[in-house]
Amino acid sequence: MAFTGNFMCTSFKQELLEGVHDFQSGGNTFKLALYDNNASFTAATTAYTATNEVGDSGTYSAGGGALTNVNPTTSSTTAFTDFDDLSFTSATITARGALIYNDTAVGDPSVVVLDFGSDKTATSGTFTIVFPTADASNAIIRIA
Amino acid sequence: MFEIKVEAPLDAFEVHTTENRGHTPEEVAELCVNRLISIGDNSHPALQAQARAFRDRMLAVVTQYIKMGIEQDRATISSELSKAGYQEIANQLRRL
Repeated sequence: MAFTGNFMCTSFKQELLEGVHDFQSGGNTFKLALYDNNASFTAATTAYTATNEVGDSGTYSAGGGALTNVNPTTSSTTAFTDFDDLSFTSATITARGALIYNDTAVGDPSVVVLDFGSDKTATSGTFTIVFPTADASNAIIRIA
Repeated sequence: MFEIKVEAPLDAFEVHTTENRGHTPEEVAELCVNRLISIGDNSHPALQAQARAFRDRMLAVVTQYIKMGIEQDRATISSELSKAGYQEIANQLRRL
């Protein structure tokens, strides 16, 4: 049981066609939850789970932190969306990966699995997840 | 007939952590500028050099204004503490 890489959840692709997710600012609330390396997420992951989630510390609490949606936009023929960077402060956390999920939709459906590659630790400090540049080549979620 | 490719460049995200402190203004400025300016590896070398020079200038400006924002916020909090009778804490905050 361990993180085995980054995945876009297959169920998320289906749910895009079903109109489950609204990434607009003021739309659905997406959250990012942190996990230890006992978690075993893959592309087959379908929803948030509290199993193997890191404990409450500082501003981190069960369920993770709410992401700030950046309105989807387009560049040439590619549409993309983005989130603001997320920080948990005054926290002592060791996490190996994260799950982004839709906290508004029924059943907390998952979006992407992030594998940090190794344990990342903040000790009485700040734990920040930095998203890539929001453009047609780098944005966190793109439809080309 | 039509294919829509849903992509996530999942290797592009980063995790930054600190020990017994928050991020410094310089670190926050770096995060900010990296989000604002992306320099493509395939761009013409002259354009890359120009973009890097612009990025460095932006880094200095953003750092300066983050520091200014922190100073102003501390001044406001210090003033509120002072008004509430916590003069010693207000003075310590001002000296940080």
